[in-house]
Amino acid sequence: MSNSISITKEKSKYSKNIIAYSVALVIFLVALWLSSQSEGPSKFPKVVTDEFTFTAWVNEGEDYLKKNYRWFTKIIAGYIKAGYYFLEDFLLDSPWVLVTAILFLPCLAVGGLRLALYSLFVVYFWGGTGMWNESLQTVALMGLSVVLCVFFGVILGVLCSQSDRFEAFMKPILDTMQVMPAFVYLFPALFFFGIGGAPAILATMIYAMPPVIRLTNIGIRQVPAQTVESATSFGSNKLQLLFKIKIPLSLPSIMMGINQVIMMALALVVLACFIGAEGIGGQVWLAIRNLDVGWAMEGGLCILFMAIMFDRFSMALSKEPEVIPNDVQKFYLLPQTWERFVIARIIEKPLEYGHYIINFICIKITNSVAYLFQILISLFSKSTAKDIGEFISNRYYIIPSFIIFFIISFIDSNLFSFGSFPEDWKLSIRQPIEDGVKALTVHPGFIAFAKGLRGFVYLNLLRPLDIFLTHIPWWYTMAIFVAIGYFTVGIRFAIITALLLMFIGACGIWSQSMITLSSVLVSVILCFVIGVPLGVIASYNKRYRDIQNVVLDAMQTLPYFCYLIPVLMFFGGGIVSAVLATVIYSIPPIIRLTALGLTQVSGTYSEVSRSFGGTLIQTLRKVKFPLAVPSLVMGFNQTVIMAFAMQIVTPLIGGKGLGLEVFNGLARSDTGRGLAAGIGIVLLAIIIDRITLAWTRKQREALGL
Amino acid sequence: MKISKTISALILSSLLVISSWGSAHAKRLTAAVADWTGGEITCQVAVSILEDELGYKIKRVVFPSGTGLWEAIAAGEIDFACESWPSYAEADTVMLKGPLVYDGDTKFMYEGDGSVKLLGTAGIIGMSDYYIPKYAADSLGIKSWKDLNKHKDKFATIETGGKGRLIGCPVAGWNCHDQKRLDLLGIDFQADELGTEAAAIAEAVAAYERKEPFLLYLWEPHWFFGAYEMVGINLPDHKTCDSFTEANNWKDCGTKAWPATGWAKDYTMNYGNPATFAKAEHADAVKFFSKMKFENADQAVMLVEVKQKKRDLKEVVAEWKKNNPNKWKSWLP
Repeated sequence: MSNSISITKEKSKYSKNIIAYSVALVIFLVALWLSSQSEGPSKFPKVVTDEFTFTAWVNEGEDYLKKNYRWFTKIIAGYIKAGYYFLEDFLLDSPWVLVTAILFLPCLAVGGLRLALYSLFVVYFWGGTGMWNESLQTVALMGLSVVLCVFFGVILGVLCSQSDRFEAFMKPILDTMQVMPAFVYLFPALFFFGIGGAPAILATMIYAMPPVIRLTNIGIRQVPAQTVESATSFGSNKLQLLFKIKIPLSLPSIMMGINQVIMMALALVVLACFIGAEGIGGQVWLAIRNLDVGWAMEGGLCILFMAIMFDRFSMALSKEPEVIPNDVQKFYLLPQTWERFVIARIIEKPLEYGHYIINFICIKITNSVAYLFQILISLFSKSTAKDIGEFISNRYYIIPSFIIFFIISFIDSNLFSFGSFPEDWKLSIRQPIEDGVKALTVHPGFIAFAKGLRGFVYLNLLRPLDIFLTHIPWWYTMAIFVAIGYFTVGIRFAIITALLLMFIGACGIWSQSMITLSSVLVSVILCFVIGVPLGVIASYNKRYRDIQNVVLDAMQTLPYFCYLIPVLMFFGGGIVSAVLATVIYSIPPIIRLTALGLTQVSGTYSEVSRSFGGTLIQTLRKVKFPLAVPSLVMGFNQTVIMAFAMQIVTPLIGGKGLGLEVFNGLARSDTGRGLAAGIGIVLLAIIIDRITLAWTRKQREALGL
Repeated sequence: MKISKTISALILSSLLVISSWGSAHAKRLTAAVADWTGGEITCQVAVSILEDELGYKIKRVVFPSGTGLWEAIAAGEIDFACESWPSYAEADTVMLKGPLVYDGDTKFMYEGDGSVKLLGTAGIIGMSDYYIPKYAADSLGIKSWKDLNKHKDKFATIETGGKGRLIGCPVAGWNCHDQKRLDLLGIDFQADELGTEAAAIAEAVAAYERKEPFLLYLWEPHWFFGAYEMVGINLPDHKTCDSFTEANNWKDCGTKAWPATGWAKDYTMNYGNPATFAKAEHADAVKFFSKMKFENADQAVMLVEVKQKKRDLKEVVAEWKKNNPNKWKSWLP
């Protein structure tokens, strides 16, 4: 009895699948027929596009705002600019030794000897490659953005944590801030806040602030109820509760937020070279414009090393100090696990003594300074004096650091000047990279491969899909999207989808969006073809996975601008290169989530399958993959979003579609045109994002996860 | 411990900023770096003279050329830009006011609103055209643009299908209107916009090495002509079309006027923000710009140094300044 039921169930599921597939096939065939029938690219009815002059409205609105409110935005920009110039001048005019010390000492104090040595290497790399000034400009831009982000972010986060209504109000705003490609507001910002530092910093704030708001909010909300209760029972009022209990306890979470802010700010600050902000981004762009791969690579590495340094620094800030048993020697330079080797212990011994000596000196100096302060201030008030004395002597790195800074600037201004970074210490990897690339580009085998790949991607994927998508009548494409939206998410979403697509069409950028869509689809397909096997390998081999994770971490740290470089090296400019750059940028999530999904499938499932005699492939195909589908779809989702984000920079190497529209808008100072295209990218990304998310949820429910 | 560490690091960094000292303020100007190599050289010549001889501190801003740059200058975000080619600037007739003088002759009288100041000629005289390699012109017998359609299949690539391919103007903001020109002249080619000068040239070099026919948009002076033999395809002589503007929805004047013609001879100029250069402290800079006249021959030599010999641009300009003091000393106020 039960058997027959399960069979019919199986049957009905089977036939349901058949129906679904055949419906999809019919839809596809009709689309194919329609697109082959149409003469040229499908155009939105002229009546609509002529009436719906979004571009003109935006430009008129902008003119109005410019005329009437620019004085206000200019004042804000003026303050930010003043702060930025101040910081920049300070960094650029200081002797290089002082700048090095400013980066080195906090790293030493917070991250230990390893990070400190790394910071020396980073500083040397900036100077050695001749990008000293540019690197410091980027540091200044990023530093100021981070400070402002953290300041406003923490305030907003605290407000969110105190009021549910405010949190509900902020949530959609934060979502939009995170999804919107930065370019869309980057260049209207230009017209209100001027060129250079100020709009870059403000745009960075929009882009990088959400995590710190979110994490502050979460951190405060997660403070245990018992703690709050006991504090209240001791008579704390609401403000005391907030500042003495809740915020200090949520500091780790806030620090996590700051870490993310730093990384995101760095990515955007580099991109801001398009609106005239100085720094390494400008160098990389110049290098790309000159097709100078070595130069671009040096710039990219400067950014990468800088990013890793700040990442580790902020991580160290939020991490608990390691507790090491008393009988074990603490290692400062080598990995702690090497403790079992005698040689390592011998090497570490002097470092340990050095640490003790420096510590001793620092504490003595700090204590005497603290004592001095205590005496001075105790003339006025005894209790404050004690507090301040304690405050100073608890932070025994600060005073000595300042003494060192002071000594350096004293020597520089009175004895001999250090000047800028010594030119003899040049380190250049331009020539070897250039030579390597040249050698590879004339290598006949590689030429054949590159040409073959280019031809294959263009002829078999890109062109057919371009023609197919642009030639299908717009109403048909729209109907398909709406139908998918209806079946996966619901009626409300279907209506929204229709409206959003209507907007794209009415702006007159339908065919450009289809080209963008096809570039993204091709990129995502390639990501899948390359990424899923890599993920599968990673799920079986732990050592390979560890190595791959390091590479992927580095890839995700690098601003997306830098991905144009390797492609440019080997494939030159053109629409295929744009697709390949997109693939490189957006592949990490699919690799990561494939590996994650497959390793997370609990051992019992695969063991059961094995014990029933399933081969490795069978287990993978029949058991692991189906169970890993939600994770795979998540990877797909993230890859798609990243591929859309990349469309903004690919026009630099020959990309087409909406990204090019954004660029042309910028070059022609036509904000409306750029904004319409930018919104187009956002809308396509949002539609696809929501559909895949809803689908994942359904899959999860079906699997009972 | 952890919190104190955090706070101490934060205090450390903030104190640093507060305790830092401001620098003495030099005369500051912001200059846009051009996005083609010739313009970059001209700009570096001007900037290095302002910096080394007139005591300026110049901020170089990388900004795409086009109408956006003109608006940024009018708004005072950027103080000046160098070597604007009038044929490429749609904004010049709207925003400039006054005569463009070259060698004492008034070459053009601008009657715009004066929101951007014409600082004077840059000296470079530019010419633009479409070019094909000499070997292709000889073997196919192409004498002018009228012969192109006969051989369009030889100029085709996988990307263009049946049409020929023009490696077109790389940046849309330059307003070359390549596709429009091809269509108006009835040349069945497709214009490819590759995003950067470098990418377009890279394509051209690769095609030349393979001895394939190709059609290339290019301008003189350019180092490419020193290295490769190219011939122009004699586009019809330039004739202006007043209605062909974005404001007028690109209403063209048919096949007899721009953009169905070639480019005019470009007397290039430097331009800047009127308010900035009206200030007394910049009087020297104004005088310098009015005298500056950088010549094609000089730029051509430096282009070869920079692009073919891959030398640092600033170094090449510094060297030129050292070896030819007589050429630029006369531009000083």
